[in-house]
Amino acid sequence: MTKIIGIDLGTTNSCVAVMEGGKPKVIPTSEGENLIPSVVEPVKNLVGRVAKRQMVLNPENTIYSIKRLMGRKITDEQVEKTQKMVGYKIKAGKNDMAVVEIEGKEYTPQEISAKILQKAKKDAEAYLGEKITEAVITVPAYFNDAQRQATKQAGEISGLEVKRIINEPTASSLAYGLEKKKAETIAVYDLGGGTFDISILELGDGVYEVKATNGDTFLGGDDFDQRVIEWIVAEFKKENGIDLTTDKQAMQRIRDAAEKAKVELSSSKETEINQPFITQGKSGQPLHLTMKLSRAKLEELVDDLIDKTMKPVEACLKDAKLDPKKIDQVILVGGQTRMPKVEEKVKQYFGKEPNKSVNPDEVVAVGAAVQAGVLAGDVKDILLLDVTPLTLGVETLGSVSTALIERNATIPTSKSQVFSTAADNQPQVEINVLQGERPMAADNKSLGRFILDGIPPAQRGVPQIEVSFDIDANGILNVTAKDKGTGKEQSITIKGSTGLSDEEVDKMTKEAEKHAEEDKLKKELVEARNQADTLVFTAEKTLKDAGDKADKKDKDEVEEEIKRVKELLKQEDLTKEKIEEATKSLSEKLQKVGAAMYQEKGKESPPASGENSKDKEKKKTGKKGDKEDKGKAEEGEVVE
Amino acid sequence: MIKIMTKKIKEKEFKLKVEDLTNKWKRALADYANLEKRVGQEKSDFVKYANACLIDKLLGVLDDLERAEAHLKSEGLSLALSQFRSVLKTEGVEEIKVEGENFDPEKMDCSEMVKGAKNKVIKVVQKGYFLNQKILRPAKVKVGSPSKV
Repeated sequence: MTKIIGIDLGTTNSCVAVMEGGKPKVIPTSEGENLIPSVVEPVKNLVGRVAKRQMVLNPENTIYSIKRLMGRKITDEQVEKTQKMVGYKIKAGKNDMAVVEIEGKEYTPQEISAKILQKAKKDAEAYLGEKITEAVITVPAYFNDAQRQATKQAGEISGLEVKRIINEPTASSLAYGLEKKKAETIAVYDLGGGTFDISILELGDGVYEVKATNGDTFLGGDDFDQRVIEWIVAEFKKENGIDLTTDKQAMQRIRDAAEKAKVELSSSKETEINQPFITQGKSGQPLHLTMKLSRAKLEELVDDLIDKTMKPVEACLKDAKLDPKKIDQVILVGGQTRMPKVEEKVKQYFGKEPNKSVNPDEVVAVGAAVQAGVLAGDVKDILLLDVTPLTLGVETLGSVSTALIERNATIPTSKSQVFSTAADNQPQVEINVLQGERPMAADNKSLGRFILDGIPPAQRGVPQIEVSFDIDANGILNVTAKDKGTGKEQSITIKGSTGLSDEEVDKMTKEAEKHAEEDKLKKELVEARNQADTLVFTAEKTLKDAGDKADKKDKDEVEEEIKRVKELLKQEDLTKEKIEEATKSLSEKLQKVGAAMYQEKGKESPPASGENSKDKEKKKTGKKGDKEDKGKAEEGEVVE
Repeated sequence: MIKIMTKKIKEKEFKLKVEDLTNKWKRALADYANLEKRVGQEKSDFVKYANACLIDKLLGVLDDLERAEAHLKSEGLSLALSQFRSVLKTEGVEEIKVEGENFDPEKMDCSEMVKGAKNKVIKVVQKGYFLNQKILRPAKVKVGSPSKV
């Protein structure tokens, strides 16, 4: 079953996407980008980014904005306007259709577009590792029959069977799955690099129909850039008395800086435009361009442009005979809609939050991929998998919540972890199954408890208790605790661990976020206590093992430190720092005893070849959790 | 008779259902395996090119520092720049050599046409760089045209 790709064949940029594992994925080009500039040099056979790089060199042979000519006659107003803009020759071809002429040869817009589609096909095949022969291609809602036919032909020339031509606004609706939400009316506000389109869609017979369209085919992000460029040049002239427009190199740098500043101001309130050595002054001294541009100033510079988009919007709604507040859903498409002021104006006008979570440069291609998936039969009969909404775990030493299955894990799934006992000769462990995001057990919900007993007497940290969590496709949780030594096991079944309402999940997650800082401190304190506890245990054991080998003075010091730490831990009101200080002090004293033990050993038998006693000393550090033999595990720790 | 028919139909339905589920299961496993392969590849690519974004930003600053170097005859600045370039080199960054070469859109971006030998790079406006032999930033160049005034 071959995949069908979705292609957004745009005026300035094109984009390709495909359904993978039930989700749409934008396919990166061979250059590693997500967008293909719609630029073609047919003589040298260059397409995309590479063709764009030699545009200035080769203006007569480099075709861009070919979409403006698709399916149009030479007498069309759009064609005339385009000829004034571009460096390549447009003339009348067969049936007076607009064609381009390069080095005496004629190319139809279909043939030029086909080269872009060919690159899209090739890159998709490289990425997916399989042959691609079918595609869904998008067109503006206002495209007439001739224009749609031309687009289909372009696909065929490129070697793609065009399974369907869909409207761009409809594609964006599919990208947001609005047909599932049964939105009756949708407004699609598409402000791209060079064109503005507004469309009103209405749901009829399970399918979205275009009710009305409007727009401005020569209004886009490029115009916004131009305002910033003009402002920079004017400010510089004011400060330095020099007109930068005569310096081509300076203008190139300013163009790039202006676009960068505009983009930055979508996420910051202010940005710096910094171009050192931009030009030379009258006396040859270097001049630098440094200015600050605020978001407020930018909005002032482009306000009339944004207002200019609202006129076609009003006209469109009038055509559709709809009130703006009655529109169910609004979608933002095109890079320029990332500007906060644009979003604000749209929100104000329609009185609701617009959909913008899908990348506005890619949303049309994503929608085309969704349609392609439906046609390929991918999306039908999908096995919907649930997720577990909250983290599941067990309570461990110090009343800490230790996670086994993280929230949003897809189910069915299972996870196991090995734990151990906290005290010597502990005969049983209590498994308290917890649900929630808080690090302390008491703050989470206990779903159930059970006890595994019959653990043979052993030093703390020695027994291996394997705890397994298993959630089946219905969300039923089975928790099992097994003593790996005896083989004895106990389990509990919990139903409805995934059956929480969205509000409950939301509430618990927000609670966790709110208390995150204090929870973190609590957990760190508990961990410090546990470490100190373990160190005391290790220290006592070391003293016993050392026997006569260590210096009495050193041993006494360690005993004192052990006493000090034990006393400290009895206190209620402790800080992490106090505990850590005491732990460090004990650890240092303990190292002396440990070192002595090894030196003694060194005297008895020579160290293994390649090693000397100094190396051995380094290995024994007496830090927290340092195990003398690998068999030990601590409660709350993972053991291989 | 009808009882046997129903039983046979039920058996057939059951067989088809099992076949369908087996196929879906295989598909799911295959998707998973393919995802693993893709993730593995992406991981190794990530290691190689993770720094690309960061280095690209630093190149912009390097451009300005080199402009400063051209104007200020400072030994200290030149030494520091030499060190900066050295660090970039160890990260796999290499300057694209374009002076006097024929224009190649794979490696170069033409910003202006000036008087000069046809199709030859007359001046480098902004240096281009490779990162681990892959184009990180194309060189911005002025290209010659004999007919330009």
